[in-house]
Amino acid sequence: MDHRTAALGQPLARPELDPELLAKIQPVTLSRDRLIDVPDLLVPLFPDGGIQRGWSLGLDGHGSWGVAMALLASGLGQEGWVAIVGLPTFNLAAAAQYGLRLDRVLLVDEPGPGRLATVLATLLEAVDIVVLSPQNRVGARDARRLVGRAREQESILFHLDGGATWPTKLNLSLSTSIVGWEGLGQGHGHLRSRQVRVQAQGRRGSSQKVSVDVLLPDSKGKLASVEPVKFAQVESPHPTDPIAIHSLVAEIEGGRVRAS
Amino acid sequence: MLTVWCPDWPVVAWGVPLDEPSVVVSANRVIATSPAARTEGIAVGQRRRDAQGRCPEVAVLDRDTDREARVFEPVAAALEAFTPRIELVGPGMVSFPTLGPSRFFGGDEELADLAFDAVGTVLGERGEVRVGIADGSFAAYLAARSVSAQLQPRIVAPGQSAGFLAPITIQTLERSDLVDVLGRLGLQTLGAFASLSAADVVGRFGREGQLAHRLASGVDEHTPDLRKPGEDLSVTWLFEPAADRIDRCAFAAKALAEELHATLSANGLACVRVAIEAETENGECHVRLWRHEGALSAAALAERARWQLDGWLQMAASASKPKKIDQEARKGTDQNDEVARSNGPTAGITRLSLIPDEVVAASGRQLGFWGGRAERADEVTRAVARLQTLLGPEAIQVPERRGGRGAAEQISLIPAAAVDLGETRIATEVGWVKEPWPGQLPLPVPSRVWSDPQEVQLLDAIDSPIGVSGRGELTSNPAMVCLDLTPHATRRRRSHVVAWAGPWPADERWWDNDSHRRRARLQLELDDGSAHVVVIEHGVWWLEATF
Repeated sequence: MDHRTAALGQPLARPELDPELLAKIQPVTLSRDRLIDVPDLLVPLFPDGGIQRGWSLGLDGHGSWGVAMALLASGLGQEGWVAIVGLPTFNLAAAAQYGLRLDRVLLVDEPGPGRLATVLATLLEAVDIVVLSPQNRVGARDARRLVGRAREQESILFHLDGGATWPTKLNLSLSTSIVGWEGLGQGHGHLRSRQVRVQAQGRRGSSQKVSVDVLLPDSKGKLASVEPVKFAQVESPHPTDPIAIHSLVAEIEGGRVRAS
Repeated sequence: MLTVWCPDWPVVAWGVPLDEPSVVVSANRVIATSPAARTEGIAVGQRRRDAQGRCPEVAVLDRDTDREARVFEPVAAALEAFTPRIELVGPGMVSFPTLGPSRFFGGDEELADLAFDAVGTVLGERGEVRVGIADGSFAAYLAARSVSAQLQPRIVAPGQSAGFLAPITIQTLERSDLVDVLGRLGLQTLGAFASLSAADVVGRFGREGQLAHRLASGVDEHTPDLRKPGEDLSVTWLFEPAADRIDRCAFAAKALAEELHATLSANGLACVRVAIEAETENGECHVRLWRHEGALSAAALAERARWQLDGWLQMAASASKPKKIDQEARKGTDQNDEVARSNGPTAGITRLSLIPDEVVAASGRQLGFWGGRAERADEVTRAVARLQTLLGPEAIQVPERRGGRGAAEQISLIPAAAVDLGETRIATEVGWVKEPWPGQLPLPVPSRVWSDPQEVQLLDAIDSPIGVSGRGELTSNPAMVCLDLTPHATRRRRSHVVAWAGPWPADERWWDNDSHRRRARLQLELDDGSAHVVVIEHGVWWLEATF
């Protein structure tokens, strides 16, 4: 009897499983669990901390192509595939600098008139991310069907230049504006890095607009944080607290004095 | 060599009884006659009207070489029972070496009798068979021709071929120009010609004379080609009635693919390239080659056949819309014909064949346990193949790294069909381009490269154009640039240049007149925050890339 109560009282210890394996054999995954990674610097832009599979994402403004490349590089990782449709100007050399694997890229430069919807549907079944531009027009019915297909196949649509002609609503829009270039002078130097401000606006949580400032690209052609980091911290915790600001300013000025 | 000769084969192939007069004509000349027609005085080479004049009831048949070859196939198959290495000289004649078979079947006479009986059973009453054995195939052919009416095979003993040929007329060489000259030289028989020295014949008549001399001497023109024929692994499905819906074709394709796959794996082979061929009732043929590095499975084969036929049948559907017919109609050519050729089929599909084009020894494939890499790559490969049927084989591309100075030159695009998407491709890896490219623009790389560069105007502070001197220096400082990024813009926007650097000259391939390019690049930052690379060549500035 003792033996039995002991057996009942103590649940059998489960064998330890590899967490990766556990994730794979889990019967149900919520859509918000199916995220693809984004670079750490851009995480604040996404309500769930990543791009949900099945989403349509719009990218808009000067510098948005760079944002797209950085997102592709981190989102696809080692195994993901991307198809770039109707964008012959997309420079893969730059995308490779951001870390995109070139052996996971398919290019369809000219989808052909009237075939775009079929091409996109086929690609959405096979690859993780499909990138397209507003020059590729799709009818409203086809667009709805394609978005449904993307959700079902858990693939993501990137609309470069904001998806201006895409008939359905986008899940999230990132608009990029250039803060400034560094490195170029009057006939000397060369373009080294570009500071951009990326702002997110989406269907969910659209009341507040979130924005981050990053270097895109930095002098090595990658995504990097804006230096010094301290300026970014000023706004975040309690921007209305005068004491906090004072102490921060004092700290920064102190630092400058010490540095000089 | 043993030669089996079926006289008057073009007539026999038509299946007409030999005791009725009939001729086969080609280009209005009689090329073959039946024995009955010959007795009426009709000869090969006569005009059709002459033949009909001599025998009004003669049946005139058109030449059909395909049919001749097709009807001859059972004859060849019957002879393959004796030796696998038969050589088809042409419809109506086949020869094979006798050395092995005669020893096996107990001598030349027995072998000749067996061959005669075998072919005789196949042909039955339809045609005659003549069999001859001699040292070379030419001599064997003449021996078969010399068979008399009782149809006993004629056997020339080994080493006696030259003696057998000697009294025969030189006309049998079937080289009219040469024979004409030889005849005028007084050489009327093969023996007379063969008695000349080979060196003299080559000196006077060249290579053709040498070949003829070899024949006349009883030596073969060339040794027969005895390679074992590759086994025909192709499979075919005939539709009866013709299929005009994709589901029927897909069903047949699936069955065919499984059949082919079974045959291949029974032979220990895997198919890496397959030709899928479909033919319609109206004779249109659609062939496409499919290639897959990792060997095509039965399902993959069936899928490809379905895509190809689907695409083809859909072309027919879109071609039937009247708007497609435009220029051909104006040119006055036959509309239907044009549409049929440029687009889809005009009738149902009657035949579907899968022809393995390239096979390799099957090595088996290992798939990942949880889906994994191989399965993903398969999925992508299938999508690529599907798109290729839709857009053409060149439409889907994959990038590879390449060395170059300009932003556009560092990536080259190659058709996805040319690579195996499931394997690691070293040309896409970071270390692929090792050579330094002096004169390359420093990092970062622009994110857009204009595939069709537009001309831009670069102006200085007083609105005069800027160039680059022979020493690689700007003639003036840029202040203004006219460009527009939207395509087909009529009015260009003027933007102020905030900062600039360069020029970086690039004098490329100066050793080659045709591909020599002399350019200089400039980085510009404009007042709206955008940055561009412009390049000057032959005094004109072009927008090359945008950051």
